[in-house]
Formats: sequence, structure tokens, C-alpha cells
Amino acid sequence: MSKYAPKLSELKKEFDEKPSVLKGDYSAQEWWDRPVEFRDGNWCFPGKQEVLADLGFANPRKWAATDEDWQLPADWQKTISEGLQSRLKKYRSLKLFLDSCVRCGACADKCHFFLGTGDPKNMPVLRAELLRSVYRNDFPLVEKILKGFSGSRKLTKAVIKEWHMYFNQCTECRRCSVFCPFGIDTAEITMLVRELLNLIGVNNNWILAPVSNCNRTGNHLGIEPHTFVQNINSLVEDIGDLTGVEVEPTFNRKGAEVLFITPSGDVFGDPGVYTMMGYLLLFHHIGLDYTISTYASEGGNFGMFTSNDMMKKLNAKMYHEAKRLGVKWLLGGECGHMWRVVHQYMNTMNGPADFLEVPVSPITGTRFSNAAATKMVHIAEFTADLIHHKKLKLDPKRNDHLRTTFHDSCNVARGMGMFEEPRSILRNVCNSFHEMAEDTIREKTFCCGSGSGLNAEEYMDIRMRGGFPRANAVKQVKDRHKVNSLVTICAIDRASLPPLMNYWNPGVSVYGLHELVGNALVMQGEKKRTTDLRENTMAGFEDGGDDDE
Amino acid sequence: MVTQYSMKRGWTEFLEANKKAILERWLDCALALFPEKMGYSTPIGTVFSGALEKILSSLGKRENDCKEALDDVTRILAVQNFPPSKALSIFLEPKLILHDIMMKTTVADTLMQEAFNSRLDALTLEAFDSYMRHREKIYQLKVEEGSRRMYMALRRAEA
Ligand code: SF4
Ligand code: SF4
Repeated sequence: MSKYAPKLSELKKEFDEKPSVLKGDYSAQEWWDRPVEFRDGNWCFPGKQEVLADLGFANPRKWAATDEDWQLPADWQKTISEGLQSRLKKYRSLKLFLDSCVRCGACADKCHFFLGTGDPKNMPVLRAELLRSVYRNDFPLVEKILKGFSGSRKLTKAVIKEWHMYFNQCTECRRCSVFCPFGIDTAEITMLVRELLNLIGVNNNWILAPVSNCNRTGNHLGIEPHTFVQNINSLVEDIGDLTGVEVEPTFNRKGAEVLFITPSGDVFGDPGVYTMMGYLLLFHHIGLDYTISTYASEGGNFGMFTSNDMMKKLNAKMYHEAKRLGVKWLLGGECGHMWRVVHQYMNTMNGPADFLEVPVSPITGTRFSNAAATKMVHIAEFTADLIHHKKLKLDPKRNDHLRTTFHDSCNVARGMGMFEEPRSILRNVCNSFHEMAEDTIREKTFCCGSGSGLNAEEYMDIRMRGGFPRANAVKQVKDRHKVNSLVTICAIDRASLPPLMNYWNPGVSVYGLHELVGNALVMQGEKKRTTDLRENTMAGFEDGGDDDE
Repeated sequence: MVTQYSMKRGWTEFLEANKKAILERWLDCALALFPEKMGYSTPIGTVFSGALEKILSSLGKRENDCKEALDDVTRILAVQNFPPSKALSIFLEPKLILHDIMMKTTVADTLMQEAFNSRLDALTLEAFDSYMRHREKIYQLKVEEGSRRMYMALRRAEA
């Protein structure tokens, strides 16, 4: 019998207690009394014992979310309470977020997980309430002020289960905060609760294994330096075969002007590797003096989904390496959360990076004073500037086989406010670009549904639910404009949007922006190009096609 | 042949005349499947409303041309937290709705109602197939994702 068919007892339960909680006015009901139910497809595998031991994290053991007993440490309540108290002192924002919500409901239907599930606990206001209710009970003064206004509850094991369920159905995308009149950032509440849960060993292997690998080897998959180099060299060979141009990246080269760091997915995964080929072609095209590190070989920072300290440590690694190699500044590839870490937290965590110089484009002379503190420039800014100064020879016709739309990655859009640069590049490297609906792009962009370390295979059901609003917006441009290519500038997107498209919109492929740049770049000494970097035939360039500009 | 034609025409007219009422109630039931009733203007609300209308219209036609609409609905249902039995119950819902409407109108045509019910039964079975296809797709996605992630390693292994 199929493993996802419900058991008879489940069916009976379903009919007996047809979910009716929270219909209408939820504040009048004790919604927290409803137990959460873990079943296949709605929980991520917990951190492996050896991974926790590697990281020195709490409570390594064998367990599953479906277990009745989660084997929490004896003093877990104390750990959580004290953990919360110390963090309330440390982060004023957290206290503000917990105290200032007036329950206006403006955020309620803005979360993609709520829109994909209809589960009230996925309304950002209620998600935050899962923590707030405990906070009120723990902090009598606040409770006194708020008495009669809202509920408080005891910290029980059931609450921990509920936290695990719902703070892992938040991708820390911040869409809700855009609509909140007070700017309450539920993403930061989620970050904090996940940090608290890690203190008692309630965790997710899909997040912790990359953290541990990154901590030890330097990247998410734990690829060692020689394999890392080997991978990039095979891409160099592919570029040679396709274009006849030999690009020459260097590794760990001291004294290079720029250290280039990108998510490691671009070095080992499909379709990330095509984006990597795009970067390599671009750097060759402009003769950039750059190097790639085999130690700081990861732009992503899953520490952000784990704890503040871990995020700090993994971020620091990039800067240590920049110092060791004696580069002037950092150039960062297409990544989402890496940019949120760099843009919002780096300077107060590890900054200022005084040993580096304020980045100046060696080609255009543009000074990136927006990166004066972090000394790290986003590749989309860098390339948009090159195009603006007409420093690239581009043939957008080479992307005529692609009818594109652009997905704003949450962290780049809402986390650093970058909207126009990628669009300006896209308009210059292809001829067919159609925006999705206004309320689903730029600062209102919908998450891919798999961000913040939730792109585990076993979590596919939840990911498909959470990604539905994004997929639905793509479908509209697919139907209206025959869009077949979803372009993005985030490595998690490149990994998670292919299954999302395959499920909701078969026929739509996912591309990194610099892959399209790589297709369009007219390289010096290149041979006649008939296929794109994926070896797909380019429209109009089949035999006899005209490739002269 | 002649009687069949006139029944068919009466049936189409009946459906057309009551389409709005049936659709409203049907959509309400479908959206109420979710723990918190889904709003009409949400992405799921919009897809359901478009698809259910197409399905309803196709019930009045000889040719069954609602496959795509059926897929749109089951694709959403197949990844929800409720069991298939509950998810697919929405395709049986119109029987009750139609019954109610017929009781209120003068057109209490049992033949028509039987025809409608058997169309719905067939539709429910089709929906089941489609639902299962989507479940299988989920498993396929997991496998594909694994190999995409290991793309370079697999390439080396094959070389
Ligand atoms: S929009 Fe802000 S204030 Fe209003 S309910 Fe949501 S979090 Fe609270
Ligand atoms: S941060 Fe994103 S995922 Fe989390 S509650 Fe807000 S909208 Fe939902």
C-alpha cells in the first residue's frame, strides 16, 4: 500500500475532528491547544550525531520528529528560558518585535506558507505569537501590561514541537515585514527561535551538515580543495569546447586584486555550474585580476539559519582568507542569504574590514561606496556597471531561444534592496523579458518556498506548498507571454526552483543571470557559437545562422 | 436519438442557468477544505475558481475537455496536509448542490440528475488518477534533485 495513503485511524480522526479551530476570531480560542502532527513530508531529518559532535552542539542523539519522546535534555526549560532572556538583552530588535505587534492583521495573508496551506499558524502574526505567548508567561511585567489583551502560556514539550513545526515553515523571507506598519520582522523571530531550539538539540540535518562541512572543509558539500579545483577546471574545458576560448582562473593566488566568492552550488550542481561558466567568461572578457579560494569556497552561510555565532564564524572565514591572500576587495557571486549576512550583519559582527580597500571597478573606475564597510560587491552591481559603461560586447540575440522572467530572490531584494541592477543586465543580454505581476516582484517578491535551509528532499511536500504563490505568478507569464525561462540570482533558487517549476509549470527552466551573460558575451577569438552554455541550440544560430554584430 | 438530443439540450440549458449558483457553493466548499478558509483572491482561490468553472462547463458538453483544469486542482490538493479521501471529496460535492437546486426548481428531472451524478463519478475517478500522478511526480522530483545536486560528481563518475 502506498506510503502516503492515510491509515484508517487517521481518516477516522480527520472526520471526527474536522479542523474548525481558528475559523473566524482566533483570539477567542485556545489555538495552542491543538497538537501538531508530524508525518512524512512535513519534517526535516534531524542533525546527525556526528555532525552535532563536530560542531560541539547540544544533545546529539538518534531521534525523529515523529517520535513521541524527543529526548530533550533534563533542564531544557531552563535552557530555553535563560536563552531567551539573554537574547532579549542582547537584541533590542527582538524585544521590540515581541512587544509592539498590535495584531492589525496586515501581515496575515502575506506569507507564502499561509497562502499555500491555509494553516493559521502560518500567518506571520500567529507564527510570532508562538514565541510571544511564552515570552509573556515568562516575563510577568509585560504580562501585566498586556493582561486581558492576549494569551500567555506555559513552556511545554508540546510548545517545542509546535515551534519546530512552524519555525521550519518560515523561510525567513521577510515578505510579511514589508506589509507590517511597524516593520516587525518575523524572519528575525524565526532565526531566534531556531537558535533556541538548537540549544536543546531540536534541529535539521539539512542545515547542520552544510554548517559542519563549511566549518571544516570550507563549503556545504565538504568538497576538498583538489576536487574543487578539478570541478572548475572541467568547466574551463567545457568553455574551451563550446567557445574556443581558454579562460584561466587562478586559485589561492596571493596579491590578486579581487577575491571572488560564490555559493559552492555553482561549482558542483546543475544548473549552478552554467552560471559559474558565465562568471569565468565575464572575468576573462574584461581581464579581471581575480582569484578563487579553495578554503573560503562557499558564499552561502547556513550559520544564519543556525545561530548568530555560527553565522559570524562562517562569515569571518571569507574575510580571513581575503586578508591572507592580500586582495584589495571581495566580489561575490549570485547568492541570496550570503548577501543578507554581508549587507545587514557583517559590519557589526566582523567589521569593519579595514585591511581591505573600498572596492573600485578596475574597468570603469566606479567606486562602490555602498560597500565601503563590507568591501564586498555583488556581481550584479559589478556587471550592471560594466554594461552601463559599455565595456561588454554583448549579442542578446544569442538568448533568443529563451523567453525570460525574473525572480527577485528574497534576500537580495528585501535584504539588500537590489531591484534594478539584475533587470538592467537581463534587458541587455536577452530580447524577451516579461515581468511577473507587480505584487509578486521586487520588495513584494514571493519566496521560492525552500529558503533558509529548508530545501531538503524529504521536505518536498511543504516546499511545493510554500512555493505555490511564486509558481503561480510564473504560470501567469508563461500562459500570457510563453515564458520558458525563470532567471534568478540565488543559489538556493537555482537548486529549488527546478523542482518547483517541474511540479507546477513543466516546461519552464531555471537560469542564473550570469549564465545568460555568458551566452551573450562575444569573446575575443571565439569560434562560431551555435549552442548556449547548456549545449542547447540557440535560435537563429543553427548552421548558416549569422553571428556577426 | 431525438429524446437524447432534447435531454442533452435541456441539461445544457439547466446547467447554464444555474452555473453561477452551483459554482459559488462549490467554490465555497473547496476553499473550506483548508484549515482556515482560503480567500477568493488568494492564488489558490483564483486557480480553484477558474478551474472549477471550466470543469462545470465541461459537464454540460459531450466532449470531456477539462483535463487541464482537473490537473490544476489536484496538483494543489496532492501536496496538502489532508488525506486524498478528503481532498477528492470536493468532486462529489456538486451532487448535493445540484440536488438542493433541483428541489427548489420545478425541473426535478431524475434522468438529468442521474446523468449528472454519473458524470461526476467518472470525474472523481479521473481526479484520483490525476492526484496520484502528482504524488508520483513528487517522488520523481526528489530523485532528480539528488542528481542535480551531485551533477559534477556524477559527471566525474561517468567519465
Ligand atoms: S502587520 Fe505587524 S503589527 Fe500587524 S499583526 Fe502583523 S506583525 Fe502585528
Ligand atoms: S518571513 Fe516570510 S516565511 Fe516567515 S512568516 Fe514572514 S512571510 Fe512567512
